[in-house]
Amino acid sequence: MYALIVTQMVVSGVLMGLIYALIAYGFQLTYATSKSINFGQGELVMVSAFFSLTLLNVGVPYWLMVPGGMLFGALLGLVVERTGVRLALEQKSEGWILMTIILGLFAFSVAENIWGRDDRPFPTPISSSPIQIFGIHITPVEISVAVGVFALMGMIELFKRKTLLGKAFEAVSADRDAAELMGISATRTIMLSYGLSGVVAALAGILIAPITTVGPTMASALILKAFSVAVVAGLDSGFGVVVIGMLLGALESLTSFYLGSGWREAPGLILLILALAMRPMGVFGKASIRKV
Amino acid sequence: MKKVLMTSLMALGLFAAQAFAGDTVKIAITGPFSGGSAPMGISMRNGAMLAVSEINAAGGIDVGGHRMKIQVIERDDEGKNARGALVAQELASMSGLSGVIGTVNTGVVLAGDRYLQQKGITKIITPAAGSASMTQWSKAGVKNLSIFRFSADDSIQAAMVVEEAIDRKLTKVAIFHDTTNYGVSGNEDLLQQIKKQGNKLKVVTTEKFNIGDKDMTAQLLRAKLAGAQAILIWGIGPEMAAVANGMAAMGMKLPLIGGWTISMSNFINNAGKNGNGALTPQSFIEEPITPMAKRFINEYHKTYHVSRIPSPMSAAEGYDAVYVFAAAVKQAKSTDTHKIKEALEDLRAPVKGVIATWRHPYSKWNPANERTHEAFHRDQVVMGMVKDGRIVFAHESDKQRLIKEALGKNAK
Repeated sequence: MYALIVTQMVVSGVLMGLIYALIAYGFQLTYATSKSINFGQGELVMVSAFFSLTLLNVGVPYWLMVPGGMLFGALLGLVVERTGVRLALEQKSEGWILMTIILGLFAFSVAENIWGRDDRPFPTPISSSPIQIFGIHITPVEISVAVGVFALMGMIELFKRKTLLGKAFEAVSADRDAAELMGISATRTIMLSYGLSGVVAALAGILIAPITTVGPTMASALILKAFSVAVVAGLDSGFGVVVIGMLLGALESLTSFYLGSGWREAPGLILLILALAMRPMGVFGKASIRKV
Repeated sequence: MKKVLMTSLMALGLFAAQAFAGDTVKIAITGPFSGGSAPMGISMRNGAMLAVSEINAAGGIDVGGHRMKIQVIERDDEGKNARGALVAQELASMSGLSGVIGTVNTGVVLAGDRYLQQKGITKIITPAAGSASMTQWSKAGVKNLSIFRFSADDSIQAAMVVEEAIDRKLTKVAIFHDTTNYGVSGNEDLLQQIKKQGNKLKVVTTEKFNIGDKDMTAQLLRAKLAGAQAILIWGIGPEMAAVANGMAAMGMKLPLIGGWTISMSNFINNAGKNGNGALTPQSFIEEPITPMAKRFINEYHKTYHVSRIPSPMSAAEGYDAVYVFAAAVKQAKSTDTHKIKEALEDLRAPVKGVIATWRHPYSKWNPANERTHEAFHRDQVVMGMVKDGRIVFAHESDKQRLIKEALGKNAK
């Protein structure tokens, strides 16, 4: 009984951790090409989830809503890139930090005004009644989270390795100046990375919403965890974020089980401090030599 | 000549001012009309406004042989303590105000009511239920209190929750509460009631959660491991929905018994079918079982174009509170807030409301017993149950009792 309950805790923690990993992956995508990240990524998750909910409410079937929501996320990502990031990058300034935060705050107020402050349920055709596997209760909705996360990350990784556009993406990530000399447009590649990052955020929102409900603050806790995961794993390892995400999720669950739910946030912070003190480039990160 | 003109003008002015002040009974209705508590605030206001328009349509209140209509001043406190304090300060300095009705959030009550009390302005708190709203005055030993409450407060509710668990022959329960003032004092009320009702329940674990928490797995599994047979819960809608959903996701089927906040629309909507069976003390159930209830529910639906009252209990309490206040104005034969307070403390004529017929709801304030300014008793509250998106009677006997009482009154 006891071992079973602990396993149950680990399983539900790992599933939550996969969502952290997916959002952290969104950070990585833009960091790879432009060395910038969207600090309003959480609001992107939330607004996309609200938009998807609206699609469902106007009668769009679930399986059409998913790509619709992801497309909307991509558009939002592009808007962030155009309005908040591009100008700052062109001027080699760090202005994107403040700009993306401001865009996030703006999106938050817009969402409050359009959809209100209340949390709302997110209907899904996937069943949320539990099935038992070796005595562990798990719901199909939770399984869909895992499937969705791995499918999207797998597809993006394949795209980066196998297609021409993806190779351009990798080239810009490796060395922006060299890539530009080879005729690859860095600006376009950065746009692509922000678009993809928006897709990832939207899917994270759609996957988690049936479990956590949709509300303006739905992603504010998630985003901090995702940021820890991205920093601990290193900002350039897709495999790393999955491992660290699952680890953090499991640790959180176990901490709240053994020490009480008030300690839930502790492992994330401890991991972050340890990583920054011992491996600032991230556990799976590559140490980069910066020429001055 | 000039002097005569001046004095006559002044007299005219005075007369005009008096005529104006004498025309209406000015009351303020405050509550959260926007934000997360808005379903309760808006229902309360709408219920109160129904009563006001009924009274005004009948010609107003008879104040010493002179018919006066009620004039309402609305203020939105947004459910925020700081905003509530500002609203209370504004009302405290308003001239000619006869009284204040409202406030949903216990925190807002604690932040604002002292300004009204300082000026001796009569206030009826409805529907905020937290015990601290009234015990703050008994603890401070206030001798003369102008604050009254008209709601099924937490101590009644906690007693009923514990009673329900004992009636179901349960012995081991888990207490879940949020970390706000409301949740923490709810936990204390529950523990006190368990002791008072003979320690028949053993609290096997006490679990906390924060506002905004979505994942209750750890708390639920600890309750499971401790062998809890039911969860007694004190929190607000969204987090309690997370508890109900978390139980469903793990195939746990423990009865969920909690405060009246289980009737919040954000619990009912977010928990969906997982909320079915949750038990909650209610002062009013949206079922047309008595002619009075039927009329009230129909009027509400018709006037505000809804098929369901967002918070039926808040609406009914707001409605009855206005009638109780109006009765006090009539008895005081004055719009003076101090005289209305005296009248409320000794209300002689019974007031027919939608929840009950109120006979002498309040008595002279005694700091040793805050029940002197509490209108509700155990009898006026029934156990409700969530069923497919509505709150219904949990016990048929409660329903029959209310029907019988209404019939009895009609027969008289």
